Parts: sequence; C-alpha cells; structure tokens
Amino acid sequence: MRNSLSYSVAILLSLVLHIALVGALFVNWQPETERVIMQPQYIEAKLVELAPKKKAPVPKAKPKASPKKPKVDLAKKKREEKKRLAKIAAQKKAAEKERLRKEQLAKAEQERKEQQRLEELRRQQQETEFAEALAAEQALINAQQDEQAANSYRQLIQQRLSENWSRPPSARLGMETLIRIRLVPTGRVVGVTVLKSSGDSAFDRSVEQAALKAEQFVELQGMEPRLFEKRFRQVDVAFSPEDLRL
Amino acid sequence: MIEENLSIWSLIANASLLVQGVMAILFIASVMSWVMIIQRGLYLRSAQRGFREFEDAFWSGVDLNSLYTDLTQKAKQQGGTDGIENVFRSGFREFNRLTQGDKADPDAVMEGADRAMRVALSREDEKLNISLPFLASVASVSPYIGLFGTVWGIMNSFRGLAMVQQATLATVAPGISEALIATAMGLFAAIPAVIAYNRYAALVEMTNSNYETFAEEFSSILHRQVHAH
Repeated sequence: MRNSLSYSVAILLSLVLHIALVGALFVNWQPETERVIMQPQYIEAKLVELAPKKKAPVPKAKPKASPKKPKVDLAKKKREEKKRLAKIAAQKKAAEKERLRKEQLAKAEQERKEQQRLEELRRQQQETEFAEALAAEQALINAQQDEQAANSYRQLIQQRLSENWSRPPSARLGMETLIRIRLVPTGRVVGVTVLKSSGDSAFDRSVEQAALKAEQFVELQGMEPRLFEKRFRQVDVAFSPEDLRL
Repeated sequence: MIEENLSIWSLIANASLLVQGVMAILFIASVMSWVMIIQRGLYLRSAQRGFREFEDAFWSGVDLNSLYTDLTQKAKQQGGTDGIENVFRSGFREFNRLTQGDKADPDAVMEGADRAMRVALSREDEKLNISLPFLASVASVSPYIGLFGTVWGIMNSFRGLAMVQQATLATVAPGISEALIATAMGLFAAIPAVIAYNRYAALVEMTNSNYETFAEEFSSILHRQVHAH
C-alpha cells in the first residue's frame, strides 16, 4: 500500500521533471544557434555596386517648374489690355472681353495639354528607368550566378591541374608560369601555350605537361554553353610552387 | 544560402529513424530511472527513519510484550510493517512460540529465534535492493546506446559527404550535431543513475548493517532471558 503510493509519487515527479525539461528546450533554451552567414567576398563587392542605381530617378522633379511662368506675363498683359479697353467704346469692350476670355481659355487648355504631355513623358521615362533597373538587377544576379558557377569550375580545373602536376627539382619559390589552356565544350584540352615563362624551361615544361595530362575536364560538359563561351573557351592558369621551402 | 534552422527540435526531427529510436530508448530509460531514483529515495529514507524511531522505542525500557502487541496492531492497520519492525516481530514471535512449551531447550529456542530473524533480515535486504540493479544497468549501458546512435549518425553524414562534389563543413555539420544529441541524451540518462546508484548502494549497506546489529543485540537480550529461567 505504502509502496504503491510512493511509486505513483515517483512516476508523477519523474514525468513532471522530464516534461519541464522538454518544455524548456522547446520554448527558448537553444545553446548558441545563432548562425553567422559568411558571404564570399566577391558577392559583397557586387552588392556595393548596387548603390548608385538609386540616384537615377532624381532628375524627374525638374520639368515641373517651367510651365508656370507664362501665367504671370499673361496676367500683366491682361491688366494693360483692360486699361486700354476702358478708354474704348462700351460695345467694343464687351466683344473684346469675350475674345480675351476665349483666348485665355484656349491658352489654359493648351497649357493643360502641355502639362499632360509632360506628365505622360515623365511617366514613360520613369517606366523605362524602372525596367532598366530591373534588367540591370537581373543581369547582376545572372552575373553573380555565373561568377559562382565559374568559380566552382575554375576551382575544379585548378585542383585537377595540381593533381597532375609533378614539379621538377629545379622548381624554386617565386617562380611563376602563366599558361593558356584552350578547351572545347566536351571539356577536352586542345591546346596549351605558355604565356609567361618562369625562366626555367624544365618548370615551364612540367606545367605544360600537367595541362596535357589532365586531358579532359568531363565536368565542364554540364556547363551552360553561354558561360563556356564567355569564360572557358580559353582558361589562363598561373602555376607557382607556393608550398616549397626553397 | 539555404536557410537552416538548427534548433534542437528540428535536428531531432530530421534525424534518421535509427537515431530517433535510440533517442526514444534513452528518453524512456531516463524517465524510468528517475522514477526509480525518487521511489528508492523515499523508501530508503522512510526505512532509516523507521529504524531510528523503532530503536528509540525499543531502548526506552518498554516491555517487549507490549511493544510486540503494539506493532502487531500497527501491522493490522497498515497491512504490514517494514524494515526493522519485521525483524523484531518475527524473532519475538518465534521466541514466544518456542518458550510456550514447558520444557523448552534454551539452545533450541535461541537457534529458532535467530533463524527467524535471519530470514526476516534477508527479506528486508531484498526489499531494500529492489530496482537498484536497474539503476546500475541504466548507468552503465545508456552511454553506450547514445554512443551507438552518434556513431551511426556520423557514419551516415560522412556517407552523405562522399556523395557531394564540393564538401564544405556545412554539409556535415548538421548531421554530426544531430548525432551528438544521442550521446548527450545517453549521458543525461546515465549521470543521475550513477550518482543515485552509488548513494543508494551505500545507504542500503548502512541500513542492512544497522539491522544486523540490532538483530544481534536483540538476540543477546533473548539469550539472557532464556537462560535466566
């Protein structure tokens, strides 16, 4: 009897303890889950370029001011006309008045139209600007993606080349050979030329050999043709033995 | 970059089935071991208290017969007594029965009373030791179970790593983190169990030796009584 009581107390306490723990975990206790997202630097550089674009819409405000000036002149004219008209006969005055009014109306109409036209123009301009900005942004995004893809392919090529590269004993720290590899869309290496020699012919030859030995970068077949034409028809790679002590 | 929620819950939810099973086992083990810890704690404490109270009553100079009848009354009310009271009752009962006859051999009486008390002692020992083996098993096994879950999870995340072209830390980190939760849970279940087991084992030993000492003392009192006649 006493045993069963103590068991039920124990079960209750244990469950409460565990439920409290689970609840604490569920509500807010999460040990350092704040993530630091590290952006690669080239993306940051692109983002900075975005800023000047926003300046473009500013010139819109200027055209507004100009159409208002004629109004003042008009009022002056009207007053002079009135003075002159006062001297002339009364019948004429009425007619003249009528004419003036009409003229004024016509002028106002014209002004209104002009303003409308300007407005339309401005709107169009705005729209085109907006479209341009959009296109530019899209292009930027595309360029970014291209850049990323290109980077990964470039890394792949570098890795493959360094795997195939056997450095000659004459390699020294500070030597650098720049070669240009010509590729076809299947990823095959069709030509290697030395652009900048290191001064050591054995070293240059080993670099050339590395590119020839790599033979084909099969992974390049999966690349968009546009990107390939733009960046990978010719690839320049610099070789320098950085990890040597000499 | 993919938005990844690394809260513990999403990690558990995304873990593989086997790792989740390991976590469930460990959770249940933890709940059960805490049930045992609390229940044993209460029981052992009450046993200690009962022993102290009984000793006070016993050495207060009360008549053994009246003590015996009081305890029998109590046993009737509560449906049984615990601990040292049982030892006393069974010893005294046997002693009374054996001395009932006129020609009781003193040695036979003592032997019978001692045997009865020995039986009662070993019963009490059993009662004190209930579920301590379970705590010991949880303490020693649950780290291994957790480790198994972790090894399995890490194995899988490395297999996943082999599939991707460009391996970054971010591709394996969630898998390893999720796998390590299993070890954490194993330790979480094991540590209280180890502490409780050690403490309770010591407590049980102490209580037992208390009982035995009392049994010896009681036996000497009975001995005096039976040989005084």
